[in-house]
Amino acid sequence: MLAYIIRRLIYAIPILIGVNLLTFTLFFVVNSPDDMAVSQLGDKYVTPEAIQKWKVKNGYDKPLFINDEAEGLGAVTETIFFNKSVRLFAFDFGRSESGRDITTDVSTRMWPSLAVALPTFAVGIWVNICVALMVVMFHGTRLDRWAVFVFVALMSISYLFYIIGGQYLVAKTWKLVPVSGFHSEGQIWRFLILPVLVGVVAGIGSGARWYRTLFLEEANQDYVRTARAKGASEISILFRHILPNALIPILTGVVVLIPALFMGSLLIESFFGIPGLGSYMLDAIKSQDFAIVRTMVFIGSILYIIGLILTDISYTWADPRVRLN
Amino acid sequence: MSGQADVRMRIQDLRVALAESGVEILKGVSVELHAGRIFALVGESGSGKSVTSMAAMRLLPEALEITGGAVQVGDQDLFDLSESAMRDVRGRRVAMIFQNAMTALNPVQTVGQQVAETLKLHTVLRGDPLRQRVVQLFTEVGIPDPDQRFSFYPHQLSGGQQQRVMIAMALACEPEVLIADEPTTALDVTIQEQVLKLIRDLTQSRQLAVLLITHDMGVVSNTADDVAVMYRGEIIERASVDDFFHHPKEEYSRRLIDALPDLTHFQSAAAEQPLLKLDDVKVHFPIRKGVLQRTVDYTRAVDGVSLHIGRAETYALVGESGSGKSTLGRAILNLESVAGGSVQFNGEEIQHLGRKAMLPYRKQIQVIFQNPYSSMNPRLSVGEIISEGMESLGLGLSKEERNKRIDDLLTRVQLGPEVVSRYPHEFSGGQLQRIAIARALAVEPELIICDEPTSALDVSIRSEVLDLLQELQREFAVSYLFITHDLSIVPTLAHQVGVMQLGKLVEQGTAEQILTRPQHPYTQALLKSVPRID
Amino acid sequence: MKPVLLWSDALIFMLVIALVIFFYKLREDPQTRERWGQVFSSRLGMIAFTIIITYVGVALLDSLHFRRALENPEGLQTEEVFYDNKVTSVLDVMLDGMGDRFERTYSAPFALKSFEKQNMKDEQGNSIRDFPQLKHAGTHLADPSERGADLLAKSLVALLWGVLIAAIVIAPQWLLLRNSYNPWHASWGVQLVVICFFTWLVSISHHYHVLGTDKGGADVAYQSIKGIRTGVLLGTLSTLVMLPIAVSLGVMAGYFKGWVDDVVQYLYTTLSSIPGILLIAASVLLFQVYIDLNPDFFSIGMEKADAKFIALCFILGVTSWSTLCRLIRAETLKISQLGYVQAAHAFGVSHFRILSRHILPNVVHIILITFVLDFSALVLAEAVLSYIGVGIDPSMGSWGNMINGARSELSREPAVWWTLTGAFFFMFILVLAANLFSDLVRDAFDPRTINRRADS
Repeated sequence: MLAYIIRRLIYAIPILIGVNLLTFTLFFVVNSPDDMAVSQLGDKYVTPEAIQKWKVKNGYDKPLFINDEAEGLGAVTETIFFNKSVRLFAFDFGRSESGRDITTDVSTRMWPSLAVALPTFAVGIWVNICVALMVVMFHGTRLDRWAVFVFVALMSISYLFYIIGGQYLVAKTWKLVPVSGFHSEGQIWRFLILPVLVGVVAGIGSGARWYRTLFLEEANQDYVRTARAKGASEISILFRHILPNALIPILTGVVVLIPALFMGSLLIESFFGIPGLGSYMLDAIKSQDFAIVRTMVFIGSILYIIGLILTDISYTWADPRVRLN
Repeated sequence: MSGQADVRMRIQDLRVALAESGVEILKGVSVELHAGRIFALVGESGSGKSVTSMAAMRLLPEALEITGGAVQVGDQDLFDLSESAMRDVRGRRVAMIFQNAMTALNPVQTVGQQVAETLKLHTVLRGDPLRQRVVQLFTEVGIPDPDQRFSFYPHQLSGGQQQRVMIAMALACEPEVLIADEPTTALDVTIQEQVLKLIRDLTQSRQLAVLLITHDMGVVSNTADDVAVMYRGEIIERASVDDFFHHPKEEYSRRLIDALPDLTHFQSAAAEQPLLKLDDVKVHFPIRKGVLQRTVDYTRAVDGVSLHIGRAETYALVGESGSGKSTLGRAILNLESVAGGSVQFNGEEIQHLGRKAMLPYRKQIQVIFQNPYSSMNPRLSVGEIISEGMESLGLGLSKEERNKRIDDLLTRVQLGPEVVSRYPHEFSGGQLQRIAIARALAVEPELIICDEPTSALDVSIRSEVLDLLQELQREFAVSYLFITHDLSIVPTLAHQVGVMQLGKLVEQGTAEQILTRPQHPYTQALLKSVPRID
Repeated sequence: MKPVLLWSDALIFMLVIALVIFFYKLREDPQTRERWGQVFSSRLGMIAFTIIITYVGVALLDSLHFRRALENPEGLQTEEVFYDNKVTSVLDVMLDGMGDRFERTYSAPFALKSFEKQNMKDEQGNSIRDFPQLKHAGTHLADPSERGADLLAKSLVALLWGVLIAAIVIAPQWLLLRNSYNPWHASWGVQLVVICFFTWLVSISHHYHVLGTDKGGADVAYQSIKGIRTGVLLGTLSTLVMLPIAVSLGVMAGYFKGWVDDVVQYLYTTLSSIPGILLIAASVLLFQVYIDLNPDFFSIGMEKADAKFIALCFILGVTSWSTLCRLIRAETLKISQLGYVQAAHAFGVSHFRILSRHILPNVVHIILITFVLDFSALVLAEAVLSYIGVGIDPSMGSWGNMINGARSELSREPAVWWTLTGAFFFMFILVLAANLFSDLVRDAFDPRTINRRADS
């Protein structure tokens, strides 16, 4: 088990290097520092001096990969690649284009993100499983067919509508909770209820539909027939046999997402004015702050890889047949 | 036959139809099960024997519905009961065991829990007494270390032990009737014998009434007291086992019985002109471990096999699943890399030839696979399937000549040239296997590796395919390496026999030697489990 | 008149031709035909397919672009013809000037007056502040109270015309297909509804703004219809970019195994470990910078928007192939073990032939299922990307851009709800039809569901 985890961590290194190279290529080779200077300075006819000044100020005045002028190790370290990309590995995220310290931003903004994303995730799974179980109990009836249609219809509605609709109805028309905002003191839950609710409702269509398929797949297995032949009732078959088996694929699909909860949701956070990492990313995209985007890409990749490893570990826990080696 | 009093279950005029179309699947089946007797219901796939048992338990899938008849257990007509009363019958009065114990057991529950569940459903046993009862059942069905096995998961047990757990689960509430649906089909022959013996013993000791559903006449002759033959939803013949095997009334029953091995007539040895010679052939698969996934050991799938096959000769390679016999076949075809030893064909070593250099030999060595349904690309027509080898091996035939040969071959395998533009899904398993034979013959090979070509087929079709293979051998002087787990087809077919166990050839010789005077204990065990009529 | 061929126009027509050829070829294979037969034997399948075809048809009509010739200014006598700088499509012509009827700003559906007050001069020349009369709505009415009766009368006439046109369209189909086993009547029902709706919409639009107008005074119904081309094109073109990458890499990884497999797995794990939306956003921004720095590259504004759009399709395609690739790799691994591939090896069939004859045709069902499923996902993604600001160019009509403004519109008092409604309606119908259709396609083509049906 330990050997397996260590091996997976070692495998993660080339992947992170790949992510790093890819983002570096995107940000510095396709789009050279000069281009960036021009677009940041915002004027098409800026002088070369202004560009140079901007590059020095932001640390883009060095060569991309190899510095011929520097001596010794400096040939590698005094480069944009080393300063902007390799440092990410040491979790040294540097400063954003607007001069803020990214590491501080990330560590303070991650908690509001989690406060929204974690309940959404947990409640969402619980609701989806319950809804799916209910539908499966009525399998083969008209109710089941209509439920599937409703799931597909719910899936066909854009996430944006759920948010806008939720805000319009719950916050604006019924005035139950504030439309948006986030204060860390006092009644924080008042700001969380609506985003969590919207997140859960928006996920029911695809989630419940997927779980229903998983349950039905298990319902066709031989061991269900055995349980029936034992004289077990349909309800006890559903909960004692089908559910534990169906949890295995559910787990693999879901565990990989857990670490990424730190990243928050772009849309929910921006609509509800939650100062988390999601809205941080959105602001970075809108203001074309590549230093932040690069950092978030790197963090996102690490969280994804952790998610993959967690998935494998959770497998051994849920499925006695699986042994990692 | 026993008296009226010990009738435990009576199925009367049972009728089942497809719910949608109303097509009848069972056309009035009647069966009586007596205490202490095993009633065998025999038939080939699709004859309706499993539907009979599922209908009796009211466990039919939604697509099927019961349209008539009655099932009585004691005085109770099961079809009159409410669903909850029926649940009380299942597992307590009538219990079932199924074909594939691996999938029939819940993979994420321990076997102990699963047996305990039956007891919990029908008795008031809980806690420690419950556990002790399960352990006692495990002991009765012959599971070693029953106390420890309680907390094992199904995958940690062998196939035979899984089936024993199934039996323990069925017997837990001391039912009156046991329905066993192909209980040994998925097991290797040596284990099959043990499980059947267990069922026989339990029938006696507990005075069970057993309905044994099987397609295997050997199982019937070794185990059952009474037998009924099902054909297309009807029972066409019923008799006691002795009567049945010695005086079958129906032509169809006779065909089923004829498929049993005849251990008195053997193929005489063929000419000693070696075509294929294997010398200490080894195939190893690496086992990787640790952080760096270094190869720490090898699985020795084939571990030093030497044999030779003469021209126009059949060599039967017998062994149970996992013995390495199919891997050996793939190694000869150069589809698996050989770790040691040599494969000589016509005196030339071929085991290390590259893709290009192997091409001339591909013409001469061909293969027929076990599963006829997966061995043909569903998107190609029969003509395209057969011509593929001729095209890729460049036999130098024009399109007309190729089409001519396809027509000839299809006629030769008794399908006729008109099937050439049809697609695989339109054929039955036996027909597909004929197409596979035609495909192999198309490139005029000298050796055909037949990897269990008949094990997926029903018995009555099996002999037709084997007969065809023999005729073709006489006609084209082709040699066969016949890979099989079924000793019973060997005597009519093989000149030479080799027995494989755990990657090693434990015994080889002429068919007569092996089948009448086996030396190795493993061969003896295999032979003992072969069904026969005494 | 001068035809204009945008890159996306060319691509969409090539795509449609390729699809038609592909499906025509598939007719030969009886199994495939049987499965499609199953999809079309259900009423729901017929309805969903008709709706999708309608959307695709609208998108195609909207892809036939041209620039109108301008009449020479009086007194100027030259041989040279001047063309309008605005690009028009055949669809615009069919909508009969619906896009040209601008107001000043917001107005509610069927409203006669503007949504916002404005400083005006009354007849006496006094400065007053009131809701101004709309330029293109209800101008023929003598009295605003006649509106209801007028609408009813006009609607009836329009619907009659609709039924007449529908009859002309459906009659030949009926003659051809009346003996077919498939439920064509469901399709005809949809056709009737669609044709009546469009006839009504076009004719009423002459007198009213059916879905009101947006901030810039443009007709919302027109905007919503223009969004169709963007949605359909984005869904298909992106998938088209993604398919060759995913299929070729997946098939090669599953077939050759060894280091090829390692490399492909490395590539897709790396790609899928990057948060998708960030990668897309970053790529789009970079392209944006490139366009901004090379403004002379495109002669008209529409070409610039189109280039951005195609770049978006490419970026979506290139960043989203990992899921399909993984599926195809797994399926290829499975197929490689099957008897017919082994038999082909035993016959010495070349790798290329095995891949093209035995493996590719047997993974087509996965490609197909992914294609229809991704289509709806991409249409939904467009809205989100446009909201983030890395989507479609605002000059090109898109549902995402329409929703984008809705947040501030809904917070007004009273709320401006119609832009959102228009975009929602047209988008929901398309995505719902595509999702329902993909469900049916999966039921018919996925071996797992086929097996399940065979068992019971």
